[in-house]
Amino acid sequence: MTSIRFLTILMSLLTVMFILTGCGQRQINDLAIVTAVGIDPGDKPNHVRISVQIVRPADIRGQTGAPSGGTGEPIYSVKAEGRTIFEAIRNLGKFSSRRVYWAHNYVIVMNEQYARQGISDMVDFFSRNHELRMNTWVVVTPDTASEVISTITGLEVVPGEAMDKLFRYNRIVSQAPRTNLMRLQESFLSRTSQLILAKVSLIPRGISNKKPSEYGSIEQVELSGTAIFRDDKMIGWLSGEETRGLLFFVEDLQSGVMSIACGDGSDGRATFELNEFQHKAQPSWEDNRIHFNIRLEVNASLVESGCQTSIRDMQATWQKQLTEQLTQEVEHIIDLAQNKYKADFLKLGETFHNKYPYEWKTIQQQWDEQFSQADISVNTSVHLHTPMLIIKPMISGKQEESK
Amino acid sequence: VDSAAFHSKPIYFSNDYQLNKLLIEERLGGSIDLEQREFCSPDASMSGVYFYIQGLADSAEVANTLKSLLVYSEQMAGTRSGVDSATRFQSYISINSGLKLTPSLEDAILAILSGDTVILLQDSSNAIIVSTRGWNSRSVDEPATENVVRGPRDGFTESIRTNTASVRRRIRDSNLRLESMVIGAKTQTEINIAYIEGVVKEGLVQEVRSRLQGIRIDAVLESGYIEELIEDSPLSIFNTIQSTERPDKVAAALLEGRVAIFVDNTPFVLILPTFFWQSIQAPDDYYSRYYMGSFFRMLRYFAYVFSFTLSALYVMIVSFHQEMIPTGLALTIASGREVVPFPVLIEALMMEFAFELMREAGLRMPKPIGSAVSIVGSLIIGQAAVQAGLVSPTIVIIVAITGLASFSIPNYNTSFSIRLLRFPLLIASGTLGLLGFVAVVFAVLIHALSIRSFGEPYMAPASPFRPSDQKDIIIRVPWWKMKKRPTLANGTDNRIGPDQMPEPPESQDSRSDLFPPIPSDSSGLQAAEPELLPMEQPTKNKQSYWFRRLSGK
Repeated sequence: MTSIRFLTILMSLLTVMFILTGCGQRQINDLAIVTAVGIDPGDKPNHVRISVQIVRPADIRGQTGAPSGGTGEPIYSVKAEGRTIFEAIRNLGKFSSRRVYWAHNYVIVMNEQYARQGISDMVDFFSRNHELRMNTWVVVTPDTASEVISTITGLEVVPGEAMDKLFRYNRIVSQAPRTNLMRLQESFLSRTSQLILAKVSLIPRGISNKKPSEYGSIEQVELSGTAIFRDDKMIGWLSGEETRGLLFFVEDLQSGVMSIACGDGSDGRATFELNEFQHKAQPSWEDNRIHFNIRLEVNASLVESGCQTSIRDMQATWQKQLTEQLTQEVEHIIDLAQNKYKADFLKLGETFHNKYPYEWKTIQQQWDEQFSQADISVNTSVHLHTPMLIIKPMISGKQEESK
Repeated sequence: VDSAAFHSKPIYFSNDYQLNKLLIEERLGGSIDLEQREFCSPDASMSGVYFYIQGLADSAEVANTLKSLLVYSEQMAGTRSGVDSATRFQSYISINSGLKLTPSLEDAILAILSGDTVILLQDSSNAIIVSTRGWNSRSVDEPATENVVRGPRDGFTESIRTNTASVRRRIRDSNLRLESMVIGAKTQTEINIAYIEGVVKEGLVQEVRSRLQGIRIDAVLESGYIEELIEDSPLSIFNTIQSTERPDKVAAALLEGRVAIFVDNTPFVLILPTFFWQSIQAPDDYYSRYYMGSFFRMLRYFAYVFSFTLSALYVMIVSFHQEMIPTGLALTIASGREVVPFPVLIEALMMEFAFELMREAGLRMPKPIGSAVSIVGSLIIGQAAVQAGLVSPTIVIIVAITGLASFSIPNYNTSFSIRLLRFPLLIASGTLGLLGFVAVVFAVLIHALSIRSFGEPYMAPASPFRPSDQKDIIIRVPWWKMKKRPTLANGTDNRIGPDQMPEPPESQDSRSDLFPPIPSDSSGLQAAEPELLPMEQPTKNKQSYWFRRLSGK
């Protein structure tokens, strides 16, 4: 009998559950799925402007067998203002017919002015929001954020997805740090190192199919460069080339490109692909002076040669030249960090803290100062590998005949 | 049920031939198929009457019996008069292999109704029962519900003797026992309990016997009646007694120490105790190579989980946990659902209902128009519903996969229980999300863990965990590894002898063995001396596989 009673209770519970459907439930097609969000300073003082890129699923996927009900525009970009980010987002609800849903957001774009005013409220909001994923990319742009997120860019139908893929394939060019929300939080909360974020900008690059003669009539989002922060405020930019020097310190680089003059009298250039980076920062503490020894080992392989001389003759010269150039690159970024920005965004404080935890406590308060006075030496070595089958330069067969 | 009806006072034949005849006539009420004829030997020394039912008795056999009865009655005339004529008849002659006497009217009636011929003789208080059973029955056919790629093709029929014989053909062991029992006040259905003495679990047969003896029912038309009357957990949705149409399955179960119950007039034989895992195991697993057997078995486990949870998971994720879907997939699902006017739960329930409807209709429709169901069904469900914007394309795929998965479960009853359990799970996930999903899955799991089948835990040997039985649960290990019988079985004898894993013959140099050197002075095959053949070569420490095979050791 007990099992019969149990079954009755179970059945009635199920019935009640069925009747009460709709409480807290929302179908996937009742959501306004945000794929990119932009943060600009508002028109009114102390206001913030949030712009969101919302996808129209029917227009993205097109006809799926069902009547699609599309409008032809894959994204719907809207903006709202408020005194705080949350208020601005709530204001989106005034005109969004669906509930704004953040879980599928790809990227957060911040305007430079906003970033220079301080981003702690933004970090707080997006960390507190349970819907957001931790692998959302975070970038800073010198352009208007709302413009960046409403620009149709890349091959993807959803621009947010295009920016997501831009980050994923960025490793090949190595011109921007891969900063997502998790790394943002990590650096932001860190006691040692300063925050950096990737930079995107609108560059007129696209060629219109209708007017091919007008090159660059369409703006595209470019991922290159770095925004440097001190505490929660942005203090400056690094260019794409400078960023590579930075990436040695903060990321596992996979490849990079470097070109040097031939050095054999001709005006051609030799281009090398860099790979297999090995980087180590060795801190030491002597006589109350901080010293860092930075060791960098790189493999380089020749990918393009416009030189007249054979590789075998030039190998030693090129290797030396590459080493010099790489050392310069690294020294330049150290110089920027120590002297220009006086901010440790190279994570050197972290290595020091790891090795000298007790000493760290004594200098923690004036770390930025200590860092800018630190003695940093750079040792670089480049191993040059060449595809040895093509040793001679590529010279037309007819010219060789005439020689 | 009034117990008096089942235990009415037995009536015995008297010496009065006319009265005996009347008794039978009265009891059978002059049915039109009752054949009754009086006969008399030419010298009138013996007269009698015989009864049989047309269609149940083989008329050639009846004629044969009657002929020999008349032939022998002449020779018997005058011998040892005074003794009961039926007894005399029985001891002097043998007209049929199955011949017995009974003093009981009930037995005689039952014999007539079973297709035997009953002969009443003058001066006898016994009736002679001659076995003349022979009716038209379906021939042994391939089982309709359990198909295999590799394995025997014969299935059970409606005749219990054919069925027991096809199991006995597989197990020629003197310890294979068949016990008879008659259940059903009106149907008097014959039930046989089969087991192997010494292998069957101790006490199991007594338990089965006592449970069967406890049944009071007027009719047993199918083994399903018996199944429902002897189950351990009659309210459970899981079937704790397996039914099968395959003699090889029954034979395998008997060898594992189980008991089989044969019921007359049905090809479905019951196997007990039954574990949950048996419903996922197919006969092919054991006949195909173990890689294949294990792979398809694992596939079926996935199919089981899929058919139970897939549609519920979809509904749950799409209506509650959209963040769990990868973005690309989320957009695809959302675009498919853009024009659908129903919540996902309703959509899924609609599709599941339509699918069940299609399956049921396909089963019930007369065979010639059966294909119409699939055409109409696939058109309506697969295409028109999507194009009309009533359901999204994704749910069609989900329901189709769920359906396919449920078809791949070998046991129809189990596949049905999962089909039914799917609906509460679907509703709970569609209303409470992950919480409801987990609650129902756990409720089902706890229930499955709590029930038993003839004293054995239903989820054994996974829970309680029996390490030695694991070789035939998730995977099927090779036969040469299955040393022991399942823990369920009684006795300690192994299934398989030691060192059964086959291996190539051991030899120093296989090349020279296979191609013996040909002496230069002779030519052709004569050169190869018999002692050079590999099997004749002495082996190091262990006799080689081929040596054992070929020498018959």
